[in-house]
Amino acid sequence: MTGLGTVGAFGCGRQALEAALRSARPALSLVDRSLYHRTGGARRAALACRNLAGWVPPAEARRMSAPSRLAVAAARMALEDAGLGRGWTSPGRPPAETAVVVSTAFGPSSCTEGLLQQIFLDSPESASPFLFTESVANAPAAQIAIATRARGAGITLSQREAGPLLAVGSGAAEIALGRSRRALAGSVEEITPLLHAVLDRFGALARPRGLAEEEQEEVARPFDRRRDGFLAGEGATVLVLEEVGEARRRGARALARVAAWGSAFDSTAAPTGWGEGAAGLAGALVRCLERAGLRPGDVDLIVSGASGSREGDRLEALTLHAAWGEAPLPPVLAPKGVTGEYGGGFLAAALLAVQGVPFGPTAGFAEPDPELRLFPHGGGPLPTPRNTLVTSLAAGGAAAWLVLARPEAA
Amino acid sequence: MGRMPTTSDSRRVVVTGVGAVCGFGWGVEPLETGLRAGATALLPFSRFDHSRHRTHLAAQVPEPPSGVAASFPAWRRLTQADRFALFAAAEAVSQAGLAAPLGPAAGVFFGSSTGGMFETELFYRELARKGGRPRLSALASQPVSGPGDAVGRHLQVAGPVRTISSACSSATLALGAALDAIRAGEVEVAIAGGSDSLCQLTYAGFNSLRAVAEGPCRPFREGRDGMSIGEGAAVFVLEPLALALQRGALPLAELAGAGSCCDAHHMTAPDPAGEGAAAAVEAALADAGVAAGRVDFVNAHGTGTPLNDAAEWRALERVFGPRGRLLPLTATKGAVGHLLGSAGAIEALATLLCLRAGEVHPTPGDGPVDPALPLALVTGRPLPLRAEVAVSVNLAFGGSNAALVLSRFPAPADRAA
Repeated sequence: MTGLGTVGAFGCGRQALEAALRSARPALSLVDRSLYHRTGGARRAALACRNLAGWVPPAEARRMSAPSRLAVAAARMALEDAGLGRGWTSPGRPPAETAVVVSTAFGPSSCTEGLLQQIFLDSPESASPFLFTESVANAPAAQIAIATRARGAGITLSQREAGPLLAVGSGAAEIALGRSRRALAGSVEEITPLLHAVLDRFGALARPRGLAEEEQEEVARPFDRRRDGFLAGEGATVLVLEEVGEARRRGARALARVAAWGSAFDSTAAPTGWGEGAAGLAGALVRCLERAGLRPGDVDLIVSGASGSREGDRLEALTLHAAWGEAPLPPVLAPKGVTGEYGGGFLAAALLAVQGVPFGPTAGFAEPDPELRLFPHGGGPLPTPRNTLVTSLAAGGAAAWLVLARPEAA
Repeated sequence: MGRMPTTSDSRRVVVTGVGAVCGFGWGVEPLETGLRAGATALLPFSRFDHSRHRTHLAAQVPEPPSGVAASFPAWRRLTQADRFALFAAAEAVSQAGLAAPLGPAAGVFFGSSTGGMFETELFYRELARKGGRPRLSALASQPVSGPGDAVGRHLQVAGPVRTISSACSSATLALGAALDAIRAGEVEVAIAGGSDSLCQLTYAGFNSLRAVAEGPCRPFREGRDGMSIGEGAAVFVLEPLALALQRGALPLAELAGAGSCCDAHHMTAPDPAGEGAAAAVEAALADAGVAAGRVDFVNAHGTGTPLNDAAEWRALERVFGPRGRLLPLTATKGAVGHLLGSAGAIEALATLLCLRAGEVHPTPGDGPVDPALPLALVTGRPLPLRAEVAVSVNLAFGGSNAALVLSRFPAPADRAA
C-alpha cells in the first residue's frame, strides 16, 4: 500500500481522520427525519464532507452522483499520496495498467431513490438517464477509472460490511496474479434519510439514551455492555496498491504490505443479522493467518470491525477468542465508533494504525461486557505493530480479514 | 503455443454441474430446447404493470413448476432473484453429485445487478398509491448480495461468499473470481453464477437511454434498434480437474480462462474502437493459454444496440483479425433477453451447451446481418460444429469488459492420452 485517500464526516484526508481518531469523537450531523422515520430512534449520522471542489472540479462533478464524487476525490487523494500525481489524465501518456476494485453495501442510494420516485410518483417516461446511469452499483468505480484512465479490471463488490476488506484483497490478488501493476481499492457509501430510516427501523443504529440534552446524541459503543447499534457513516476511502518491486523501483514510500487476506461465511446468520458460527469463522481466520505464515500469537494488533452492534460485536468477540484459545488477545482497536459504519473510514483507520498513528480511547466504550471478555484500546501509546489483523463481520453471514505487515517488513 | 495441459495440471478447472432459470422455464433443459429451436422468450409480460412504459416486451420467467416452492424453506419470503438463484444452484449441485452442507472447502461467487430491487419497488408502489402506507421493511431486500448470500445459506457454505455488482459483466467477473479462488487453493468447490429479476428501475432506466427495442432485440442485424431485458439465473459448479476426477464426477466442460479490462472511456457508450473489450478477450485467452486461432466460436455480448454491437465487432476483429469474419458468432440475448447481472452466467452456460451438443445455437431475430459488420452470425438453425474452444464476452456500463474461455472436456490432449 503506497497511497491513502479518504473522505468522511471527519473531513478530507488522512490528517483529518488522524485528528478524529485521537479525539475519539465522531463528527455527527442531524439526518432529515421528516419523511420516513418513526418517532424516537436515531437522529444523527456521520455524513461526509461534501466540499470536494479541490479534488473534483465542478465541470466534472456535475456528471457524477455524490458517491461517485466521493470516490473520485478519494482516488485522486490516494494517487497524490502515493506520489503518482492525480491520475493519468495527460493526453499522450500511455494508459496505466491499473485495476479499480471498489465495494459498496447499498450502491448510489440517492440516485436509486430519485429514479424510483420519478418512475412511481410521476411516470416511467420521466426517468432520468443521468440518475439511471449513476444508480448502478459500479458507477463510482467506473468514474474512478474514467477520471484516472485506469484500464485494468473494473470490479465492484457488494458484500455489506465485509466489502472494504474484500476489495483490498481482490485488488491485491489482481496484482499478485500479474494482471495489473497497480490497483485502486477501497469503498464508498452514501447515507440518505431513507436508508437511515430503514437501518433504524431494523434496530441496527445506536439510539439516543434519553431526553436530557447530554443523552440525545447517540453513541456507538463497540464491545460495551450497553451497546445498542452502530453509527451510519458515509464517505469514501481508496488505497493505492502496488507490486512490491514496482513500488521499490519508483522509490515509493510503503505504508503497509498486504500479507494475506481471507473470507468465510456463517450460514447460521439470518439475511439481515449475525449468526452463531464463531467456531467456523475462527477456523477460517486462523487459515487466513497461516497464509501469511503467522499464528494468532504473531499478531501485535487487531483493528476490529466491531461497530456497536449487539449481535455483530458478540460474534466478533467470540470469533477472536475461539481463534486465540486461552491466549490473551493483543491490543484491539475499534474505530467505527468514530468513523461510523460504511464509507471506508474504518479501512483508512486500519492503515493509520499500522503506521503507529496514535489513537484515543475507544469511542463509546466504558462498561465491559462480561460475556465478551474483550477490552478495546483505552487510550495511550501503542507499539507500532509488525503484523496487524483487520477484521470485518457482515450482517447476512459474510466475514473478511486482512493481514497487514509493517512497511519495514515489506 | 502454450504448454500441453495434463489432467493433473493444478490450474485446470472443470464444470461438474449447471443450473438455470430463464424466460424459457425452470431448469437447463428448457433453456437448451429454446436455444436449439432458435426461439425467443421475449414476449408481452406481466411481472409488473408496464402500460406507462415506452416498450412492452421482456423475457419473464414463467411460474415455477409445482413442487418447486415446497423444496425450499421460506420460499414465500424470498425475492424473485433469490428464488431463481436457489433453484439454479440446487440443480447445479445435484448434477455435480454434491449436497449441503458444503462446508469450508466451498465458496459462492455471484453476480447481481439489482438483487431484490423488484421487491424494494413494493415500497414505491405503495408510496404512489393514494392513501398507501409504505412499509420500510419492504426495503430490506435491496442489497444486491441477497441472491449469493441465499445460496450460501441454503447450501451451508462456510468458505468465501462474494457478490460482484459490475452491471452487465457481474456474473462473468464472478465466474473469473471463482476460477482464481480454485486455482489459488482457496476453495475446492465454487458455486458461481448470477441472478437478477425484472424490475421497473432497469426497465424504465434503459428506456430512458432509448436503448430498448420495441420488438425483440436483433443482435448484429441491419437496422437493429436496441436491447431487450430478461430475467433469471445460471449457476455453475466448478472444481479442480484432479479433485473432480478423483471423486468420480463427470466434467461437462473446462472453464479455461477469464479476463477483464476497463474502457475508462464513458459511463454508457462503449469505446468505439473496442480496445477495452479486445483487451478483455485477449486477457482471457492468455489466462487460458489458448491462441486466438484455436477459438472455434464466440458467444458475443450482442445486446442489439447499434453502438454496442458495432464496438464489439471491432473488438473481435482486433483479436481475431481477418479470421473473425469467418468465426461463427452467436448472441444468446436474442433468445432470453439481457439478464443484466446474470447475463454472463446464462451466456457462459449457453456456450457450454453448444460445446457439448456439437452445434452453435442460432441467434433469433429478423432481417439480414448488418452489412457494416461482416461477421458470421449463426441464424435460423443450429450450426453443426464440433468445437473445442469458445469465448463468451460481456460488456458493461462504465466500460467494464469481461470474457471467459470455455473448452470441451476431455480436451484433445486428454483424449490422446
